[in-house]
Amino acid sequence: MTDKEKKPCAIIVVGMAGSGKTTFMQQLNAHLHSKNKPPYILNLDPAVRNLPYEANIDIRDTINYKEVMKQYNLGPNGGIMTSLNLFVTKFDQVLKILEKRAPTVDHILIDTPGQIEIFQWSASGSIICDTLASSWPTCIAYVVDTPRATSTSTWMSSMLYACSMLYKAKLPLIIVYNKCDVQDSEFAKKWMTDFEEFQQAVTKDEGMSSEGATSGYMGSLVNSMSLMLEEFYRHLDFVSCSSVTGEGMDDFLEAVKAKVKEYEEEYVPEMERMKEIQRQTKERQKEAQLSKLMKDMHVSKDKEDVGLTVSDAEDEYNGELVDPDEDDGLTAEDREDMIKQYRVALGISDDISDEKLLEMLTERMKQ
Amino acid sequence: MPFCQVVVGPPGSGKSTYCFGMYQLLSAIGRSSIIVNLDPANDFIKYPCAIDIRKVLDVEMIQKDYDLGPNGALIYAMEAIEYHVEWLLKELKKHRDSYVIFDCPGQVELFTNHNSLQKIIKTLEKELDYRPVSVQLVDAYCCTNPSAYVSALLVCLKGMLQLDMPHVNILSKADLLCTYGTLPMKLDFFTEVQDLSYLAPLLDRDKRLQRYSDLNKAICELVEDFNLVSFEVVAVENKASMLRVLRKIDQAGGYAYGSTEIGGDAVWVNAVRQGGDPLQGISPQERWIDKKEEYDKYEWELEQKSTMDEDENEG
Repeated sequence: MTDKEKKPCAIIVVGMAGSGKTTFMQQLNAHLHSKNKPPYILNLDPAVRNLPYEANIDIRDTINYKEVMKQYNLGPNGGIMTSLNLFVTKFDQVLKILEKRAPTVDHILIDTPGQIEIFQWSASGSIICDTLASSWPTCIAYVVDTPRATSTSTWMSSMLYACSMLYKAKLPLIIVYNKCDVQDSEFAKKWMTDFEEFQQAVTKDEGMSSEGATSGYMGSLVNSMSLMLEEFYRHLDFVSCSSVTGEGMDDFLEAVKAKVKEYEEEYVPEMERMKEIQRQTKERQKEAQLSKLMKDMHVSKDKEDVGLTVSDAEDEYNGELVDPDEDDGLTAEDREDMIKQYRVALGISDDISDEKLLEMLTERMKQ
Repeated sequence: MPFCQVVVGPPGSGKSTYCFGMYQLLSAIGRSSIIVNLDPANDFIKYPCAIDIRKVLDVEMIQKDYDLGPNGALIYAMEAIEYHVEWLLKELKKHRDSYVIFDCPGQVELFTNHNSLQKIIKTLEKELDYRPVSVQLVDAYCCTNPSAYVSALLVCLKGMLQLDMPHVNILSKADLLCTYGTLPMKLDFFTEVQDLSYLAPLLDRDKRLQRYSDLNKAICELVEDFNLVSFEVVAVENKASMLRVLRKIDQAGGYAYGSTEIGGDAVWVNAVRQGGDPLQGISPQERWIDKKEEYDKYEWELEQKSTMDEDENEG
């Protein structure tokens, strides 16, 4: 572990509209600067009007959100989705820039569009999460609006959505209770650790409901969900913060450290396993192409020799003879094109003659 | 007693396409219907829109005036609709006898942090005696990955919890399923959502979710115990699948044929009234993956035959 190069941690900040993601980013940025650890910041929200912090990479620098809406006949939602998709086509360049900067920073912060569905349901969100996770320890910070979450049904839905996000992204998750200067998040922690406490809150909410339209059936569902999510909470890190006062930022950074450790213990081995599977798949494809090439070369060789006496040396050289009448439907020109493609694919020089090539491939197949 | 569908789902799940397709189907079977667009940020609308919220709310203007992003502006717009719900009631009264399809925004906040949408629907129930059914669309692509499927299950549960009305879940874009490769389970498994214990080992296979093994089991148990979540499979361009879903929605909402039903496409009217379905009993796996082309051809021939029959009757 000591030999390993120190890697920055990528933090993807997601959350509902109004939960204070951007303000949280601003406060976290200021906090890290005050500790002389300036982070590297990506802004992935093409529709934001004013950024209260300076982003090192900003999607708006390369993609004009208004122009995208106009050109593709899209509304705001489709515009953001499409802008992000366009940006992802250039994400390899972003990765290169990040790789250069990685040795000099401790944290990479990523601000996402307010449309949380972008990361939940679109391909671009998956691509961003997966590519970041394959290079650096990555975790997701899910920002919750604490004052609004005082309602049991709203809170339950937020937790359920966080759980859904966990299953989709498969990355370590930190829940950030924001705005704790307005509303203390102690109630949420109690609800997560004490089932009875939550039960009482549900009963109280039902009693207070002035509409009376809510059926007891939904209360029953909420109870069952809370039992289910109890399993979820056991593996969860949560911190309470205030983006205004700066309270809780150190707790958040400690939680990030814990997630980095979790990432290295569980996610890295899985990543390696998937890479190995991918390598083997490519190997098999290569072998398949090689077999196809061998078959073509045999046909080509035999056609040239039609009418000639086959010597003992050629018998040994060609192995089993192919029926001269057999034809794979390719014209001579097609075959030549294919052979040329194989040369390029295998990185073989044009200077080598076909016979030499066949000899090399034969030896290769025997190995 | 008017009936309506409230179509919800994440962006890209095909809500507007579904609304248009459903509108066309209802027209074909002679059920008078209208589409109401409640999404101020809807993309370019292709369907005929009887009531459009964008005529009274401009998201661009809201963003400018209140310095909000598109998401915040949308939340504000929904609150504005809730506050000025009288406008919506007045507009809907003009279409008193029509079946209504509501096209809703895709923002998930409306189903978790906010209850504006729910309050609007509740007001419609109270003031105009509407009988709503929520229709939640999920892209069928989620069936290609067990964890994505569990993710979708949780979203559907959440929708049922928050909206608190009869609920039908739909896997949309089923015609694309055969292009995604092999599914981890047969499609029937995903539509019926039964015995999810078979799913837990698949989730555990991914080491990144292994530590959540107990949570995997708990989720599967919850969904099984309630036995509430099930999916219908839909391709909007396919009449039979849309018809099947419509029957399901009518059952959920308690729709009974009334004065809005008139002549129209004889075969499909008969199909609805008799509950007949040429592909009844065929499993979704066979229909959409194993033998998609054969069944597409069969349904096309069936439609041609019904058209010829009509011509003969007229002649």
